Amino acid sequence: MRLLMKARPLVALLLLITLSGVCRAEITLALNKTFVQRYKDRATMTTNLNVDHYPDDAKPHGIARSGEDGDIHMAGRDSVFKLPLVAEIMNARFAPTAIQRLLDTIPEQAISVTGAWRVWFEHPGNTNHIQGNTFPVSTDSNPDHVAEIHPITKFSGIDVLSTFAEIKSTATPPKIYEAYPAETAFPYYEGLECTIKASNTAIMIASKKSIYNYADFYIELAGAPKEVSDGHLVLANVYESTSDEDEAVNAAPRRMVFVKGTEPANRLLSLPQGGRLHVLGIPRINLAEVYVIAQQNGATEVSVNLPYEMIIAAILP
Amino acid sequence: MAGMFGSTVLDVAIGLVFVYLLLAIICTSANEILSGVTKSRGNLLKEGIRQLLGNQPTSGAKNDPLALFEEFYKHGLITSMMRDNRHPAYLPARTFSTVVVDLLTKDRPGRLDVGDIEAGLKALPEGGVKESLLAVVHNTGRNLGEVQLAIEGWFEDAMDRVTGWYKRKTQIWTVVLAISITLLSNADTVQIARRLWRDPVLRTAVVEEAKIRAQKPRPSVTVEYPNPDDPTNPQITSNEGNTVSPEEQALLGQVLGWQNAMQDTSKRAWLERILGWILTILAICLGAPFWFDLLNKFVNIRSAGKAPDEKPKRPEKPKMAPADKTA
Repeated sequence: MRLLMKARPLVALLLLITLSGVCRAEITLALNKTFVQRYKDRATMTTNLNVDHYPDDAKPHGIARSGEDGDIHMAGRDSVFKLPLVAEIMNARFAPTAIQRLLDTIPEQAISVTGAWRVWFEHPGNTNHIQGNTFPVSTDSNPDHVAEIHPITKFSGIDVLSTFAEIKSTATPPKIYEAYPAETAFPYYEGLECTIKASNTAIMIASKKSIYNYADFYIELAGAPKEVSDGHLVLANVYESTSDEDEAVNAAPRRMVFVKGTEPANRLLSLPQGGRLHVLGIPRINLAEVYVIAQQNGATEVSVNLPYEMIIAAILP
Repeated sequence: MAGMFGSTVLDVAIGLVFVYLLLAIICTSANEILSGVTKSRGNLLKEGIRQLLGNQPTSGAKNDPLALFEEFYKHGLITSMMRDNRHPAYLPARTFSTVVVDLLTKDRPGRLDVGDIEAGLKALPEGGVKESLLAVVHNTGRNLGEVQLAIEGWFEDAMDRVTGWYKRKTQIWTVVLAISITLLSNADTVQIARRLWRDPVLRTAVVEEAKIRAQKPRPSVTVEYPNPDDPTNPQITSNEGNTVSPEEQALLGQVLGWQNAMQDTSKRAWLERILGWILTILAICLGAPFWFDLLNKFVNIRSAGKAPDEKPKRPEKPKMAPADKTA
């Protein structure tokens, strides 16, 4: 008994060692450094997609909350991402021509798809994702993936820019999608963690599953928008509402991505001084920040808060 | 009594994690300073390139095996990457292949083709580069782009080895620094646990400071945009979580140290001391982010109001200047 009492400090140590094992269950994404350099400051990507699977009758999701977001998913293999890829048309009910085109796709015939590229650990599964590796043909429209084209802006030549709008049904009155509020989504995004390291040719990002696909929030610009080849990038603070008494829900200004030709991009350019925009956004990993971290630290693995930015998918009333 | 016992065990665990975290932060800072002073990444990159190009005389210097290597470093594309004569930490594969192809075909005017590269290689005296690149060219198609890609692949394979060297070197330095820090400060885990167990005042002070630390940012790299009008130019900034505060230093002084440490010189005391040092060295090698995460979990368990996996607390207010209303 006396021995046991004397060993109490060691009990503390054992407790420490036992509990220390709970920290990691991460999936690694390895991206080619050249890919990261090319896309880090771009809003969109154009790729040739072999559509391997889409829902029966190309029926879009219902409209409610969470995954019932009115999108249509298609899984496939592409020529640019070279990862298990899911492409999504937002507000798909309002893109009947594109849906018909999807129904007309022929297996193994690649079609051109343009849209906001997105890397997010929403459906990472249990295996690592290595860009360029071969992977099985998907038998599901939502396979394990971290790479997306979402939202699509052009599908096989069909312009769907008008789908960058509030998500709703075609009924009268329409049913409106309920996105995650800023006070739920942003503290979560801000707290996400990852590790980043680089080899001479690749950048590895390891993180856990991330959620909250669509967020409803207000932005106030922290700087001037910068035009890039396919859109506009701007730093902004995030708020829950239009109230001046609100505190920003983000720790530091976040980069917002606007796709050229969409309603959000047009509204951004006419935003009055100090004005706030009520928007619907989708998070994605900020590859510009990932790149600078990887450049700085090279092969030394660094733990960081997950660098993210928001694709502005719609202006909300 | 059982509750009190459990609480003390948890507080000792928090104290240990806190000490490990501070020591790991000190180790990381020392490693970064060392890496900067020794320019280790740039030096290793140069060594990797020396292994690739270092056994190849040129027609102008037939007896100098380092001739091609030296010409490589005199090329404008490479000198433009040097700052204050410091070797860059990275070299794009594309730049490497462009310089190598240019050196091989410098006497050939006009548009290049694969035949020019092949002729340039054949004109070289016997050497490692000639042998390797002729094999690369013969195993590729007759397309110049493909040959350049193959040369890039040759370089990237070598750079994977350089990355391996760098990683090993960093790991070795981490261990060396962990040993140094542990011995210099007499960071004996067994002794620290014993002090925290026996001294409730010290334990309480450590736990209070640990709670403050848990509220600080995670020790990591932070990215900010120095110019709010340029969202394409993020920069690495230092993070408050990467430094040890004066209060924490003072507390470390109370928990660690050599004062009265050698009173017991029995065999058993020495065994305990060595075990304590080894545990501390291993703990430091796990890195600061690991111990910070664990500290947060323990502090959350202790406060009992918040489960470890509850959603994260609201972030601090923006650090950057508020919106420029005229933007």
